[in-house]
Amino acid sequence: MTGRPFTTTPTRRTILKGMAGAGALAAVPRFVQAQSSEPIRIGFQLHRTGIGASYGRWYERTASAALKVLNEAGGINGRPVEILFEDDGTDPKRGAEVVEKLTTQSNCDLVMGTLFSHVVIGSAPRAGELKVPYLVCSEGHHVASGMLNRWTLQPGITDVKSQVQGMAPFVSSNLGKKVTMIFPDFAFGHDHRDFFTAAMAAQGGEVIQQIAIPPTETSFTRYFPQIPSDTEVIYHVMVGPAVLTFVKELGEFYGSGARPQLFGFIDSLEAVDINSPGLEFLDGSHFWEGHPRYKQADASEHETFYRDAVGVDDNGASVSDPADIATYAHMFSTWETLFVIKHAMEAAGYTGPADRQKIVEAIEAMTGFEEGQAHPQGPKVFNGKTHQAFGLQSITKVEGGKLVRVHQTSMEDGFYPDEVDYTTMSF
Amino acid sequence: MRGLAVLLALLPGPALAHASERMVILTLPTGWYMVGAGVAVLLTALVGLDARLLPRFAAHQIFERPRLVPRALAGWLSAAAFLGLVAVGLFGTRDPLENLLPLTVWTLLWVGLTLACVLFGNLWRDIEPWSAPARALRRLFGINRGIGLSRLGHWPAVAGYLGFAWFEIVSLAPADPAVLARVAAGYYFVIVALAVAEGEDWLDRGEFLTVYFGFVAKIAPLWAEPAGDRLRIFAGLPGAQVLRLAPLSLSAGAFVTLVLASVSFDGLTETFWWLARLGINPLEFPGRSAVLGVNSLALPLFWLLSAALILGAIRAGLPAGRFRDAAGPMMLAFLPIAAGYHVAHYLIALLTNGQYAVAALNDPFGRGWQLLGLSEHWVSFGFLATRAGVRMIWIAQFATILGAHLLAVLIGMKLSERIAGGHSLRAHLPMTALMVGYTVFGLWLLSTPAVG
Repeated sequence: MTGRPFTTTPTRRTILKGMAGAGALAAVPRFVQAQSSEPIRIGFQLHRTGIGASYGRWYERTASAALKVLNEAGGINGRPVEILFEDDGTDPKRGAEVVEKLTTQSNCDLVMGTLFSHVVIGSAPRAGELKVPYLVCSEGHHVASGMLNRWTLQPGITDVKSQVQGMAPFVSSNLGKKVTMIFPDFAFGHDHRDFFTAAMAAQGGEVIQQIAIPPTETSFTRYFPQIPSDTEVIYHVMVGPAVLTFVKELGEFYGSGARPQLFGFIDSLEAVDINSPGLEFLDGSHFWEGHPRYKQADASEHETFYRDAVGVDDNGASVSDPADIATYAHMFSTWETLFVIKHAMEAAGYTGPADRQKIVEAIEAMTGFEEGQAHPQGPKVFNGKTHQAFGLQSITKVEGGKLVRVHQTSMEDGFYPDEVDYTTMSF
Repeated sequence: MRGLAVLLALLPGPALAHASERMVILTLPTGWYMVGAGVAVLLTALVGLDARLLPRFAAHQIFERPRLVPRALAGWLSAAAFLGLVAVGLFGTRDPLENLLPLTVWTLLWVGLTLACVLFGNLWRDIEPWSAPARALRRLFGINRGIGLSRLGHWPAVAGYLGFAWFEIVSLAPADPAVLARVAAGYYFVIVALAVAEGEDWLDRGEFLTVYFGFVAKIAPLWAEPAGDRLRIFAGLPGAQVLRLAPLSLSAGAFVTLVLASVSFDGLTETFWWLARLGINPLEFPGRSAVLGVNSLALPLFWLLSAALILGAIRAGLPAGRFRDAAGPMMLAFLPIAAGYHVAHYLIALLTNGQYAVAALNDPFGRGWQLLGLSEHWVSFGFLATRAGVRMIWIAQFATILGAHLLAVLIGMKLSERIAGGHSLRAHLPMTALMVGYTVFGLWLLSTPAVG
């Protein structure tokens, strides 16, 4: 595969050989020349094993496809690009070690690709100490909240605060004003609870009940009587292996009678077929999707190009197996981040690790990205102060066993006041 | 924060549970399967009290053939292949699912070869990489005595297996190619040195992989027995070989209980139930580093608990004073359970990581080759998300666990005939209760919510 070198570090011997061959006097300019045509090395912190592995598999596949496109178009500054994938076991301790290894042993120019929040939070401080750009694809709010550092950026995907907040206008004007939220009782669910409750209030709606489900729960029927009878919308963000059971039992609770509107986050069913047994009850319900899994009727040429390159069919499944559903709503972030890196390195005139700070400064100077082959999910606004991208979110409806887009948010729907200005921090 | 949306796929280092599979399995009526399996084990035990109804477990020679490859040559080839794999681990791709070293060790050998040995007898004997070099080095240095290691019985293998289980189940990065390469090479040379000092025959007792594959192969319905330069191929009911074994020594019994306990422990530590005991939210499982200490402690404790349960059940059924004579033979009955647990527990790893292993052979150096003609996106896990696929896997696991326990009950009955007062309802009751419990526990491990 492109960029998968068999050996991961150039040996001292190959460098010395290059010098010797050029002769003593000519060595210096020739070496500089050789240096500048050396591949750019991008370290990819990959959830290859551990609980993030199903995401990791698709993140690797998407990043590899993007790399191929990037190199075929001439690489970065005329230099070929390599990605070095390193497994972090979806473990923060290993994550920090991986950042260090990629930076100091494998001589990567920067590190990218991390999804899981706890790994990002565990690794970012090390990236800051090593002064290496760390571009995450996590959609966590921890970047824009100011929790991390100058070297950590999230230019390839919007954050959960922006996503959740962007749903409120559609929900309140189309589905109902009185919402009951059902969420797992830990940080992930609490973020949804807090961001959405506030956003709903701002839209003149109201979250009338918040039902927190213990994370180890595998049967949900006893919680459903807590749903107030005047509920117009149920907002659900259950995750974990019991999701199918949750939907099935909710369906049994309401039977064939009237039910509130349902609104969910696709995170619950990422990489899961919407037509899985037990999910019949979701027919007609709505979902947030960062990037619609099913190819929409008005899909852009860039969307089509992206799907083909990654090997995903019109239903969001692998071209080699219709039952193998991609983590489609999130994985575009690795593709887009790679192209942000290209633009940043070219804008900064990047030549080598000594210029790492220039990459951060170049990204901070960016204000947004046009929709295109480099940004197939859509246009983005980039906030250099908070290191966070903002974009358009899709709301899709389950119709005929597919997720069909019924609404796209505006850019402004996802904006919120800055909570940090990283540019004032030292490197 | 989000991140944890997931829980879809959960590979614990080498093994691989898969939560989309658990997602689907939670919608299947697995509870009824557990009840049915428990009842089947109980009924088998009751019926088996009539000794006339027990199978004979006869072995039949079906043919004889010459050895195709001399053992010494096979041993040298294995040693060379092993060292080649270590080099691949050190210098090849850093991706544990593309590097042939972790794929070979964790998938092809640990899972695939176990299954092959359970079906076709001890294939490890033919590819074991220590004997040939050890024999040659002993000859070279003129060593023809030992250093007394054999007096330790199976204890060195027990220690080796315990270390191995900790490395696989508890340590941070067992699938990291470079980590695995160093550990495997270190172990290899230690064993070479010991085998040179003690004699290569010691491997059968002291080296844990040799002991392990030797034991699980005793379940096989087909097996080969060497006779000079030729091999005699036998067939018989699974367990026919077990009944021809000598009673297990204390150290060999410890080894069998350790194999059984470690696989169960691997399954247990992934369950929501276990994580809840540790106060860890399984929906945001923080990774192995967070449970390293507690699992390091719990692994040996779980082993001791399992061994105590087994010995307690044997003892509880017997008249006073018979325990010492009975424990050795009765421990043999647990061989099928140890092998069955292993096969069922790692079945999904075989079906998923096995694909990566094939893909790695298709393109061993990551150069875009297609030596086996496989397409770029050949590796695929869709079958774990469909009801049909998951049901088929569950039924295979169910049949394996149930079959292993039924076999264990029958073997236990046959063995107890050799013990005075052993073949009676009273003697079998505690063992039967344990077997029923183990059957249900094994199936529960495979169907309860779990992470990686």
